[in-house]
Amino acid sequence: MGSYIAKRLLRSVLTLVIILTIVFILVRQMPLEGYFPNFEKMTPEQIKNGLHSMGLDQPLPVQLYHFFRDLITKGDLGTSRIYRQNVPVAEILAPKIPVSVRLGTMSLIVSLLLGLPMGTLMAKYKGKFFDHFGTGVIVLIEAVPAAVYYLFIQFYGTEALGIGMTMLGDKDFNNWQYWILPVLSMSLGNIAYYAMWLRRYMVDESTKDYVLLARIKGAGEGRIMFRHIFRNAFVPMVQYIPTSFLNTVIGSIYIESLYSIPGMGGLLVDVIKKQDNAMVQAIVLLFACVGVIGLLLGDLMMVALDPRISLAKKGGDK
Amino acid sequence: MALLKHPRVDAAEQRATEALKRELSEQELFSVAPFDEAETERTGAESYSYWRSTLRAFRHNRVAMFLLSLLVIIVLFTFIQPLLPGQFDPNLANNTVNAKGQTVPMKNTPPDSVHWLGTNNIGQDLWARLWAGTRNSLFIGIAVALIEALVGIVMGVLWGYVRKLDFFFTELYNVLDNIPTTIVLILVSFILRPGMGTLIFAMSVTGWIGMARFVRNQVLIIRDRDYNVASRTLGTATWRIILRNLLPYLVSVIMLRMALSIPGAIGSEVFITYIGLGLPSDVPSLGKLITEGRKLLTSPSKRYQLIYPTIVLSVVTVSFYIIGNAFSDAADPRNHL
Amino acid sequence: MMKKWLALVLCLCLAAACVPALGEGENVYRSLYSSEVSTLNYLTASTQWDQTVGANVIDTLVEYDAYGNVVPSLAESWETSEDGCTWTFHLRAGQKWYDYQGNAVADVTAQDFVDGLEWVLNPANDSSVEYAVETAKIVNASAYYEKEITDFAEVGVKAVDELTLTYTTEAPVPYFLSCLTYGCFMPAYGPFLSEQGADFGTSNDKMLYNGAYIMSEFQPQVKHTYVKNVNNWDAEHIYIDRIERSYNSDSAIIAPEMVLRGEIDSASLSNDILDDWLETHGDIVTRGRPSLDYSYFYCFNFDPQFDAEYEPENWLIAVNNSNFRHSIMSAFDRIYAMYALEPTEPEETLQNTITPAGFATAAGDFAAEAAFSGTEENFYNEEKALEYKAKAVEELTAAGATFPVKVVLGYRSDMSDWENECALVKQQLEGVLGSDYIDVVLYAGPAENFLREVRRSGKYGLMRCNWGADYADPETWTDPFAENVDSETGLHNGNSYNKMDKMLDTDFEETKAILTEYYAKVAEGKASVTDFADRYAKFAEAEAMLINNALVIPYKISSNEYNVTKLNIFEGGYAGFGITNIRYKGQKVLDDFFSAEQYEAAYADWMEKMGY
Repeated sequence: MGSYIAKRLLRSVLTLVIILTIVFILVRQMPLEGYFPNFEKMTPEQIKNGLHSMGLDQPLPVQLYHFFRDLITKGDLGTSRIYRQNVPVAEILAPKIPVSVRLGTMSLIVSLLLGLPMGTLMAKYKGKFFDHFGTGVIVLIEAVPAAVYYLFIQFYGTEALGIGMTMLGDKDFNNWQYWILPVLSMSLGNIAYYAMWLRRYMVDESTKDYVLLARIKGAGEGRIMFRHIFRNAFVPMVQYIPTSFLNTVIGSIYIESLYSIPGMGGLLVDVIKKQDNAMVQAIVLLFACVGVIGLLLGDLMMVALDPRISLAKKGGDK
Repeated sequence: MALLKHPRVDAAEQRATEALKRELSEQELFSVAPFDEAETERTGAESYSYWRSTLRAFRHNRVAMFLLSLLVIIVLFTFIQPLLPGQFDPNLANNTVNAKGQTVPMKNTPPDSVHWLGTNNIGQDLWARLWAGTRNSLFIGIAVALIEALVGIVMGVLWGYVRKLDFFFTELYNVLDNIPTTIVLILVSFILRPGMGTLIFAMSVTGWIGMARFVRNQVLIIRDRDYNVASRTLGTATWRIILRNLLPYLVSVIMLRMALSIPGAIGSEVFITYIGLGLPSDVPSLGKLITEGRKLLTSPSKRYQLIYPTIVLSVVTVSFYIIGNAFSDAADPRNHL
Repeated sequence: MMKKWLALVLCLCLAAACVPALGEGENVYRSLYSSEVSTLNYLTASTQWDQTVGANVIDTLVEYDAYGNVVPSLAESWETSEDGCTWTFHLRAGQKWYDYQGNAVADVTAQDFVDGLEWVLNPANDSSVEYAVETAKIVNASAYYEKEITDFAEVGVKAVDELTLTYTTEAPVPYFLSCLTYGCFMPAYGPFLSEQGADFGTSNDKMLYNGAYIMSEFQPQVKHTYVKNVNNWDAEHIYIDRIERSYNSDSAIIAPEMVLRGEIDSASLSNDILDDWLETHGDIVTRGRPSLDYSYFYCFNFDPQFDAEYEPENWLIAVNNSNFRHSIMSAFDRIYAMYALEPTEPEETLQNTITPAGFATAAGDFAAEAAFSGTEENFYNEEKALEYKAKAVEELTAAGATFPVKVVLGYRSDMSDWENECALVKQQLEGVLGSDYIDVVLYAGPAENFLREVRRSGKYGLMRCNWGADYADPETWTDPFAENVDSETGLHNGNSYNKMDKMLDTDFEETKAILTEYYAKVAEGKASVTDFADRYAKFAEAEAMLINNALVIPYKISSNEYNVTKLNIFEGGYAGFGITNIRYKGQKVLDDFFSAEQYEAAYADWMEKMGY
């Protein structure tokens, strides 16, 4: 197991290097003007100086080499040039990561707490009212664009709760009431997602022979539902939880901007637009790392839950 | 599905029962039949047609049929609408004369008998924009789905069949799968000039890899099945095996993936427009209408400008989801008997 | 019994302590902002967002009052030498630098201005506002920046003693005082600056304050809090005690609602919702103060670099034809186009000159100079447009041009108002001139690098451009069109706006003749430094040439946006350039919204005091 993880991590590092190289080259395709807020009024000389101080006048391979050298030897992600001038990237990201993790974790918990029972109940009452009702809710959540329903939740939700529309500083940020709507909004998509797939897997499982066997042995319906079917249906879903966590964090841009939550969601769009290369690279690295680790974690969780799968076989994956 | 019996099965059962009823002698029951060459070539599935069965199974799903008709009507209507009488050019600013005698655009007029959904803030007819937007959004969605399917299938088959390419594709997959799609979407839309082509390119540039991997996995599984090995030993060309033995098996899942990637692409367009990298103004789209409508949230009397495009988008999305799932159920041969 | 009393007293004390710090009478202003500053370092800040910080926390030598008059600030008095090249400032004594917690750190001395300028001129610091020092023509500034000299003592700024500062310029600079409100002339405490190095201005604890406010809290993308600097020399005119600005990138959508719910004190109303607001809350919707931040004008591009499908060669022939340009200028209903930006009162911001009315005054308003009389004939007139068209068709056909001429109309794809404006312009121009004559093509440029991608690279035919003044002199408005000559080849590279100077190296004789005369006029204006009336008249003649020859179509000044606010903007400092307009000093938060009625009265009063 240890050697499998080591091998897998090694491959992941290779993948990360390739991803970073691609993004590194891509961001350098952006026009020069973006690096200077007042390009307008600068002389060619000044532009040259600016490019030099950013190291952008060197050939691409040299820039790439410097980037990796600093990253590996000093763990240095670089310094922001435009987003926040002269502030180390790590210092900018440090306070934002916990916020996103907090929002993501809360939303994950809520989605699992609501999505799993919903899926189970829908499978249990397949074809009955609750199933149809649940399907209706899922379809609605999937169909209406998040950009629209988030807005309505904020608009009417804050009024109903009697709280401010957005978080105006620390006081609101530390008030749990202000977290209800963002977390709920963010969970809706995942609730629908988990409920839909769990229902599907459980319905698939319920026709299998071992369920029949359990029933013949006289196990109660509740026991069959939870001990047998749920466990087996949950295994394939576990794999996706870490990835969906990542997607939730990246996809939180709408929520973060509506509620003034200082997380990572909108950051990437922001820094790409501002052409802050160091920031773009660092965020891509971060997201890619989380993605790679998420996949690994998903596989490990699956192994832990399902004794039939062993890592040695999984490792081949061919 | 299990209740649907094949007509041939019915007939055979009936014959057997009748025979039993008559209590015939052993000789009557079993007799030596003459050799008939035609008969030996007959197989059990002779009159079975995959597509006919698929369609029949699909037709039995009434909700899906309803949504399919609805979708067809919507698609047709987006083309018919401009030809109807009393329609406006979606990009034409309709003018009026104000109190000062100046010619000005009809700003945000409420729905009336001329402008069925009213006008936007420079006097463009919202009814016309809604349908032009639906047409463009659907075009983007379908284009992305087709490109993904086409590139994905070709690459997937290559990946599965050509062993030398396996390492390359696997690495490519690892990379593309690990870059969040959002990043690619933003970077490409940002670097290239905004427009329909850019948007379609940005959405399909990484999307095909998922399809390719799926096809490749299926190729690996099916490639070495006995009937394919037999086919190969009989000297059947590879392309023929792929076309005849392999792809039909994948049709159901490919269709499902395509059906899901159409609303996915339409949704991405909304996102790209939201972050300010969307289409130019003379190309209306659902994303554009929704982004413009969002600004009107604080004006209750104008909020309908947000509601209509949302409804159309929702209906289109739901339709594709449900039709896709129903079709993939119907296309699964296991559900045909 | 005693215990009960004690308990009661304790409770009361607790209750008193629980009352939020927003005590009685404290004047607090809350608002949202949607784009985070990229730096707090006022010595390099170049966007209005970034400059907001420096403007409010740093005092400059001079400042502007609410009516655009220069008044003393850190300098109590100043004088110029005979030749007009040396400016001596006498500083206010007893001013101090404070840290973000309000502790005094050091005295503000003349040396601080020298240190600030040295930082700006050090190429290693890569300051974005260095150009403004060169605008002010400080002796040896550019030589030092270009490393031709290494001793900063040779640069024209000296601390004569603690409270006496002199600047020396290469030539008399009539507008010198107006340069002083720019970031590059702000003071910085030298020892602190060198101690912080590259960290200076990266957060609120890494800078010092001497202005009206102290930035007590800086949480990027969360909140900025400014508290009043009670020790400021002008503390009695600083009315807002605390400014709380919270970040929200969707503020355009939610801020108006938040104002109604009483969560914030001010919000601007976008064009989309304005109608509805005027209808439902018309009594509290007010406009901003007319602002001269930018002048907008439509440029014809003389160096078309757009795709072949839009026929750049054809455009080059057409644009060099005076009748063609005039036909477009006369066909252009600017009021109609402006409807996308200024739906209610477009006439208020309409401009018939490039230099905005009210920008500079010598004997009278610059924009009313005699040279401009008659220029209005060139504007919207459909009959004339058709006359010009007829002539242009004849001449252009002879010159080998084909019809319809493709007019590539550029705009920035993420600016929906501009997008709408272009849609209107296309429809209107084609409507008047006929689509057999021109074919207006909407060209959406990319969002973030728009100017480089479209304007500088010449990928447009006709486009709205804008320019903001750098100092209080009409010369600043000739800068966008200035000749751009390659030092090696001696040929024209073309200015970054309409590239018209490039025509001087071509065979388009008609254009060449106009331009030669124009540049000669500008040179005359620049040379005239003693007699303001003469100087202004010369610049006015030059500018009138651009308009009369339809080289540039004047359009409008910055729109003063619609707001619901509790501030009376007319109480704040006012100037046509620099950072004055974004200072909160002088303004106070009213108990209720600044009503439409109050606005009308304040506006009329302000106009009167401004002398309009």
